[in-house]
Amino acid sequence: MSAVAALTRRRLLTGAAGTAGLTALGGCAASTKGDFAPKSGRRVVVIGGGWAGATAARYVRLHDPGIEVMLVEPSRQFVSCPFSNLVLSGVRTLDSLTFDYAGLRRGGVRLVHETAGAIDPAARRVRLGEGYLEYDRLIVAPGVDFQWEQVEGLAAAQDRVLHAWKAGPQTARLARQLHTMQDGGVFVLTIPPVAYRCPPGPYERVCQVAWYLKTQKPRAKLIVLDANPNIVSKTALFRAAWQAYPNIDYRPGNKVVKVDAGAREVTTEVGERVRYDVVNLIPPQRAGAIAVQADLVGADKRWCEVNHVTYESVKHPGVHVIGDATGGLPVPKSGNVANAMGKICASAVAHLLGGRTPPVMPPGNTCYSWVSDREAIAVVNVYKIEGGKVVQIEQKLTRGQSAAVARNSLGWAQSIWGDVLG
Amino acid sequence: MSLASRRGIATLIVLYASLMLVGLAAGPAAAGPLDPPAGYAKAFTCSACHGFGGNSKGDTVPILAAMPPPYLIKALKDYAAGKRPSTEMEPYAKMAIHLGAEDVAAYFAAQKREPWAGRVDAAAAARGKTAAAACAACHGVDGRGDIARGIPDLRGQPPGYLENQMRLFKADQRSPGDEALKAPKAMMQTVPDATLADLAAYFASQR
Repeated sequence: MSAVAALTRRRLLTGAAGTAGLTALGGCAASTKGDFAPKSGRRVVVIGGGWAGATAARYVRLHDPGIEVMLVEPSRQFVSCPFSNLVLSGVRTLDSLTFDYAGLRRGGVRLVHETAGAIDPAARRVRLGEGYLEYDRLIVAPGVDFQWEQVEGLAAAQDRVLHAWKAGPQTARLARQLHTMQDGGVFVLTIPPVAYRCPPGPYERVCQVAWYLKTQKPRAKLIVLDANPNIVSKTALFRAAWQAYPNIDYRPGNKVVKVDAGAREVTTEVGERVRYDVVNLIPPQRAGAIAVQADLVGADKRWCEVNHVTYESVKHPGVHVIGDATGGLPVPKSGNVANAMGKICASAVAHLLGGRTPPVMPPGNTCYSWVSDREAIAVVNVYKIEGGKVVQIEQKLTRGQSAAVARNSLGWAQSIWGDVLG
Repeated sequence: MSLASRRGIATLIVLYASLMLVGLAAGPAAAGPLDPPAGYAKAFTCSACHGFGGNSKGDTVPILAAMPPPYLIKALKDYAAGKRPSTEMEPYAKMAIHLGAEDVAAYFAAQKREPWAGRVDAAAAARGKTAAAACAACHGVDGRGDIARGIPDLRGQPPGYLENQMRLFKADQRSPGDEALKAPKAMMQTVPDATLADLAAYFASQR
């Protein structure tokens, strides 16, 4: 490589590089050949810039600015899943939940807007396009992917049958489908079996859709087909909230196994067919694809088992997994837990790279659900670590729904978005 | 080569050498800002709501940075015991006590406070300044308090948090039976509800 080329390449990769440099890094296939960002010192690569990955990237730098941190995330924007159900009811805009990664850059994190193709734990490399990145420790935060094959007809109908379970374009599209549905129409919402991202999320969505229909399309109906035997989270609080929505037809123990987008019909496990005008099919889930490809998932082929103190994979040393992709911990797949795991893992990785013993840090969970346009409920879980395992100390729920809890949720959001993104 | 450029090179060499020395002194395990003081590993979970270093960005969530330890420890104990009823704080206070309330408090006490930078209604703050005369005997004219007497610093706390606490004082829902709070609670009962937001805006805007 010529000196000029080396300088140019280095410039493109420096954290201080402007937007032009980052665009080149993210968009130009030619820049991702071979070892396209040779490692000079200690380096942590983070795959995935969601709640867990963005937090981890930021906090590794806060622990030790001497560690180079590269965050591999195809998207240039961070869209908050928490609060995205409120976009369906029109209570919030998607814009108000959309942020950039400028705060991470200011913290010295180098962003690579690419999709990680593969992991080679033995060589300590991540493949990107035709090139690769070397790492000393890898943090994998790929979130969830959908098990399309679990629902017949779903893979082929992905363009029309929406999940809106990753906040972004699908959220806006589902909101449009709901808002343009005729009064008197049937909205069918299907809930997958546990474990899935955000246990109370589907039930908050039920509230938001029901509130919207009640106020805007009073003759319309909401049928909820839940694969689970009962409401998975905040059960009594949701039951109480639903008293205000006689338009909800909740059918527990109804697992959807087939969708026919032409006939606008879903079929349950027992063969019952349900017609819809708009469907929101939340598919069964597993860890993000890269975790499956890299053999980080357990025998269930769905979730990644990790050390409860360091979040290092039990299968591949040097590779840590955080966020919704993990399994085997008694914690929900929530944004707050992902943020906590990001901080814990960042601390562990910084300590391990410095030759020190990681401190023992238990996670916590605060989770709000909006049950109307102005009232919310909440659950809080706190944990300890006993014998090297995360154990719940206590769970506490709000006594009822209130506008005060909704205000608290806004306070939580402002602080935690800052904690994740800087 | 000119003398000037030779001097320039010499300066660069000295600079480089100093940088190397700094690098060596820092060592490969250079401690980041999260290592000292003690307590980060026990307090880290708080930043989800209370912001990094306890500098909350949320209107309803108090700023813990630079809070005197006795005040925070009492708050944690009251939350854990249910004396300050809060769905959010009761479990987290128990967790903090389980991990070590003194270490958690020491961590926040050592952080630099960033006062509330969010929106404050200027007209409300101006009205609040007049109403705040009633608070001055204990909290001082600007709300700085007197921590030696257990009176907290209200300056720059988020207005939503301040207003919530005033409501709880007024309704005797914050630490009922606490002798030290009898006087401020009696005082709060003389303040009309409509004035609470004004007082909150005033103290939030003080530095």
